[in-house]
Amino acid sequence: MSPFYFILNNFSLVLEYAMNHISLVLTVLVLSLSFWIFTGLIISRYDRLASAVISFSNILFCIPSISLFGLFMTMPGFGLGRKTAVVVLVLYAMMPLVRSVYLGVKSVDASVVDAGRGMGMTTSQILLKIRIPMAWPMIFAGIRVSVVLITGIATMATFIGEKNLGRLIHQGITRGNADMIIAGAIIVSLMALLLDYIMGRIQKKIVSPGLRFQPGD
Amino acid sequence: MIELENITKKFPGADSFSVDRISFRVNEGNICVFLGPSGCGKTTILRMINRLEEPSSGNIFVNGKNVLEVDPSGLRQSMGYVIQQIGLLPHRTIEQNVGLVPELLGWEADKTRKRVRELLEVMGLKPDEVVRKYPHQLSGGQMQRVGVARAMAADPPIMLMDEPFGAVDPIVRIRLQDEFLSLQQKFQKTICFVTHDINEAIKMGDYLIILNQGRLIQMGSPIDVLTSPADEFVLSLIGEDRGVKILDLTRCETLMEPMRETPDDLMGSGCFVQSIQPVKLALEVMMKKDSDHVAVCREEKVIGLLSWKNIKKHINRVSGEDE
Repeated sequence: MSPFYFILNNFSLVLEYAMNHISLVLTVLVLSLSFWIFTGLIISRYDRLASAVISFSNILFCIPSISLFGLFMTMPGFGLGRKTAVVVLVLYAMMPLVRSVYLGVKSVDASVVDAGRGMGMTTSQILLKIRIPMAWPMIFAGIRVSVVLITGIATMATFIGEKNLGRLIHQGITRGNADMIIAGAIIVSLMALLLDYIMGRIQKKIVSPGLRFQPGD
Repeated sequence: MIELENITKKFPGADSFSVDRISFRVNEGNICVFLGPSGCGKTTILRMINRLEEPSSGNIFVNGKNVLEVDPSGLRQSMGYVIQQIGLLPHRTIEQNVGLVPELLGWEADKTRKRVRELLEVMGLKPDEVVRKYPHQLSGGQMQRVGVARAMAADPPIMLMDEPFGAVDPIVRIRLQDEFLSLQQKFQKTICFVTHDINEAIKMGDYLIILNQGRLIQMGSPIDVLTSPADEFVLSLIGEDRGVKILDLTRCETLMEPMRETPDDLMGSGCFVQSIQPVKLALEVMMKKDSDHVAVCREEKVIGLLSWKNIKKHINRVSGEDE
């Protein structure tokens, strides 16, 4: 039996897992983008806060995912289920997102900002019309890293009760069923690639052609 | 009119004053050049005029109003600002870049578009070719022109220019300077112009303000500064070729001996200059024609004779050398 036949023979199950997987990933993505882009913008204005927040996100990122899922599961108010999975994955997305927004906004050429100020732009106009548009390429790099990351780590959420593609991999391992493992892995990878591709298309729409010579296309 | 009164500026943590008790006035329609080595405070003074920096003490008046009592954004929108790094917004087209201040002022789109095209044309760019381009698609000289066009977009009476032609090669720089001077003839803006290049200062300035280590060393017209430098510093800034620089600023009519009749052979052989042309050009003509004299004309009519002897006498007199 090959992974392909495994998928065909268990199509409805695989489909259910895949749908669960992608709905988890999309929920996490929406929440992460709104939280962490906002956080990144806030800390770009307060340097002292920035180093604390970025160090915190680095530490979070270094904790093995399986233990973080376990830890949150035991906390009051979380337990098994989607809520815990979402919170943990959002925390994982913090590092790449906050950092890319912060660096993107901060690394805008000082002479451009100076020219903007000299033309009479206010601080918020400089943020909206100069800093954010010029930071888009770097912000998108962060978004695309976190999309791929979330899709992969979401497989771990199977241990706290998520019925997603991680379950195929996990059960494949316990049963010694290579086809099952490979089927799960392939679908997760394809999903990550697809999401990354979609993000790339959105990036092309949003990032100004004037910035196209920068990497990250 | 721009007026500075006893301005000092000390940056936090610095030991000495970046700008030390400076007062001067820039009259309407003049180009006032701030000249000095790096770190002399010239850029800081410029940035205090549009409040990108705040003075530690003293007052700045623009058209009679104390700038410290004016809203900084509004103040800056009413002045053109050009910097050496140009600082075009790379994510915006040339049209959007030039239209930035009108956009901030809330102009109608149609009015802005017209104004942008008009300005690009004035600056010697072809609007149809560049409006949709992005800054990185232009050459250095073109970007510099767009930078000046952007500063002039809302037709501000005052322009602040910080080494505006510093980032282009010498040939383009000279062309930009010439074009800018002829624009200035037409528009008569009040301009504060920062440079460290003495030649640019002499060429562009109606008035020079020479600075060193935050102190005002000398102010006056270029010819004043060249003929009577205040001290050793100014002398070294001007350079060894003071006499020749003066010739660039002196008109032929100043040094000529008036006369009605000029030997025909001078005119016939093309050995003549116009009365308002610089003496330096007369020298050039003398060398080319291998002659000790040139005829000085006003339009078609000969009005005098300029001799090598007179020029030499003049150089020696103004630069204080013995004859």
